[in-house]
Amino acid sequence: MLRVFLFSILFIQLLFGYNYDNLVLKAQSSIFPKIMLLDKKVQNKLIDNKIIYTIAYDTSDYQTALHVEEYINSIFKGHFDRYPYKINLVDFSHLSPNTEASALYVLQSSTDNIKKAADIAFQKGIVSFSYDVNNLKDGLVLSLIIEKSTILYFNIKYLHVKNIDFIDSLFPMVKFIDKNSL
Amino acid sequence: MKYSSKLFLFLCFISLPLKAEDLVSSIFTDMKQFDKIATQIKQNEHYQPYIISVLHNKELEKLGVSNLKEALTLVPGVDMATDNFNNQTPIFRGSNSFAYGQSKLLIDGVVVNNLFFDAYSEYLSMPIEMIKRIEIIRGPGSKVDGINAYAGSINVITYAEDFKGFESNDKLVFKYGSYDYRMGGFVKNFRTKEFTTYIDFYYQKDNKKISSGPDGLSQGLLGAGNVGLSQSGKAPLWLDEYSLGLNVKYKDLSFKARILKHKQGSAYGINLALPQDSDRLKLPSYYTELGYAKKINNFNVEIKAGLQYGAFDSKSKLLPDGLDMGSVVFLDGVYGEHYAKQRVLYQSSYVNYSGIENHQITLGYRATQEKTVAMTSKLSNRVTGDATLVDYTDTLPFFDKDAHRNVVAFSLQDAYDVNDKLSLLYGVNYERTSYKDAGFEPRISFVYRKDFKNIFKVIYSCSHRNPSWQEMFTKNNRARVGSTNLEPEKVTSYEFAYIRNFTNDSYLQSNIFYLVNKNQIYNSATDPIYRNSAKTDIYGVELEYKGHIFANDQVYANYTYLDGRHSEDEGKKYNLPNVSHHLAKGYYIYNFSGTLSLGSTLKYVSSKDRAKGDTRSKVKTYTTVDTSFNYKNRHYNYTLNASLKNIFDTDVRYPSPQNTYVDDYAQARRTFLLTLRKSF
Repeated sequence: MLRVFLFSILFIQLLFGYNYDNLVLKAQSSIFPKIMLLDKKVQNKLIDNKIIYTIAYDTSDYQTALHVEEYINSIFKGHFDRYPYKINLVDFSHLSPNTEASALYVLQSSTDNIKKAADIAFQKGIVSFSYDVNNLKDGLVLSLIIEKSTILYFNIKYLHVKNIDFIDSLFPMVKFIDKNSL
Repeated sequence: MKYSSKLFLFLCFISLPLKAEDLVSSIFTDMKQFDKIATQIKQNEHYQPYIISVLHNKELEKLGVSNLKEALTLVPGVDMATDNFNNQTPIFRGSNSFAYGQSKLLIDGVVVNNLFFDAYSEYLSMPIEMIKRIEIIRGPGSKVDGINAYAGSINVITYAEDFKGFESNDKLVFKYGSYDYRMGGFVKNFRTKEFTTYIDFYYQKDNKKISSGPDGLSQGLLGAGNVGLSQSGKAPLWLDEYSLGLNVKYKDLSFKARILKHKQGSAYGINLALPQDSDRLKLPSYYTELGYAKKINNFNVEIKAGLQYGAFDSKSKLLPDGLDMGSVVFLDGVYGEHYAKQRVLYQSSYVNYSGIENHQITLGYRATQEKTVAMTSKLSNRVTGDATLVDYTDTLPFFDKDAHRNVVAFSLQDAYDVNDKLSLLYGVNYERTSYKDAGFEPRISFVYRKDFKNIFKVIYSCSHRNPSWQEMFTKNNRARVGSTNLEPEKVTSYEFAYIRNFTNDSYLQSNIFYLVNKNQIYNSATDPIYRNSAKTDIYGVELEYKGHIFANDQVYANYTYLDGRHSEDEGKKYNLPNVSHHLAKGYYIYNFSGTLSLGSTLKYVSSKDRAKGDTRSKVKTYTTVDTSFNYKNRHYNYTLNASLKNIFDTDVRYPSPQNTYVDDYAQARRTFLLTLRKSF
């Protein structure tokens, strides 16, 4: 009986999406691409002279990923500053070190999938953004939440990582967080 | 070539940091913009310096919630009460259920409490489809703009609220339900670059009648000889109303207006005798407000001026055939027409100064002139007993036709961010009226954010409620007699809150409150003169959880425990009358997919003690369960909702005062509602 119950929960999780806050999604869609451009090594991360902004999503969250793509396109209209970009929607099950990405935006999923995404981003030396701030503890770099005001959280583990080197002006805007405080 | 390469490199070096600074500036601007939206839509409710709950249309529609009243019954600590007019009012945290104005209702920032009762019953039927969001502050809470919230305030935000990138769809809605309920309405926004116009309209009517009685005559209100005339039967609780709202914004100017033509059955009777089916009470409400908001350097200036009209307009058979008043017998009963029209003019000016680092200082005033502008009083002939109406407007008016009051309130407030973690809000209100003054009322609140998961609030505030028109100016009436010597009701509140955020959208909030209420205004069927006759000390705990069980559902649950003591002039203390000690509410929405969902609401309201001297047994505990099925067609952009309310057909009763309707005021049993919404 317990197995049936647990299976039901798992099945339901697979079939249907996680909950997302519209305002947070819009804020992240508006701000994360700009933060990516503050990476001093962004030039090195272009693929065919384009930024590939990859969104990793759970199968059940495909509609949410599409919404995020729409938000980004409505704001940036094809260019992150002077760089043309392409949005690449990738299901976690297809995410691999070979996935093209100049930056990775990670929607909600299981801990294993989040860790997998964080590892891939780290290996590729690209910035990873998380919808849920709690997922920074699994190795993602940046998140944004709306508290009294809009707060950017930066995973302190990445402060001195070779391939991710942000300009100094970013740091007064973020709050550093380590996995023990999550 | 050599030089041009060097020039290029030089330009790269100087342009890169400049570009980066532009980006940082752009991110900063975005964050400020999202801060502003989050504050306005109360997304950051947990960081606000008061206890607030926010209900969103999206969830309410899925739950089959039909109108504002139904939505408010989901709020922690809020119970519902009614009276013989069916003047329904939300009761916040055990507040005085006979003092309607202890909570304020604002629609898009305009206070709509009517002057006559200081109530807003006529707005409780506002369809949920016209409402984008409801912000409910419990406790004296926000006192910005000279508006005194005593026990709570309800801010209804319509779809006139419009942010770039967050535009709402236009909407058309039709509803059909029990008691032959029919409703049709729409919301529509017109936008140009500098001009936005919003219109909402709805019309709704039903034929609700609920078995009630025996009526107040059974309690010997009009003498033992008339007890036999007491009736039981269907109380006319029908509704027939329409409303047109308009909001226009052009640059720094705004204009808000609403016409509400509200007509309802005479319910349980002005004189507590069951009225006829066609007897009616009109509570029309009209308002216009012109606003100007301008940011000049570090100053934000907000100037408003408004005009409101409201009326009490009753036409009914007041007492039954054969009423014997000793010197005269009314063989064909007593009929009456009572009309009192009120006008409110107000003007407010507030300046917010943000030139001192981490401070937001707000200073201003609100001046109000309240006046009765028309009054008629007609009654069956009091001398001969003939049922034909006689005009008693000048000789025996039911209301003071010269009633007027001027109020001016000054406020000074500073919101101070001490550091990243601690915010402080402190200030004082000072109010003078042409009758009794409330004087100085201080307020201070602390919000401490230990981290993003743990937030603490401590609030101390004082507030008051000025007596309503009914409590001051009614006369020549057996049920209620006003007094202009009434002091304002006063409250001092102490609140502590702890909020534990689990994720972006799940939290547990716990509040402890202690309220000291003085000068509480009461009257009774045997002593109809309103007096400042009671004090109450109320304390309690509220728990509120919002989150998920599964990824695809939404859970909301709250529980309130409250208790206290009620003391009257002689100093003895009693249990709080007409107050439930335990309130538990919640809802669950299960999203089968993006198109199908099933929602359920549960409300538990525990029993209520009676007032001192009332020997009736307690008002009974009740539990109601509603359920709703929602289908959204994304292709054609329409939604169908079918809901069943009170599915177990529970007998819900709101308490009646002693010596009136002895079996209390019965509410609707099981009902259904069908809704069709089309978005454009």
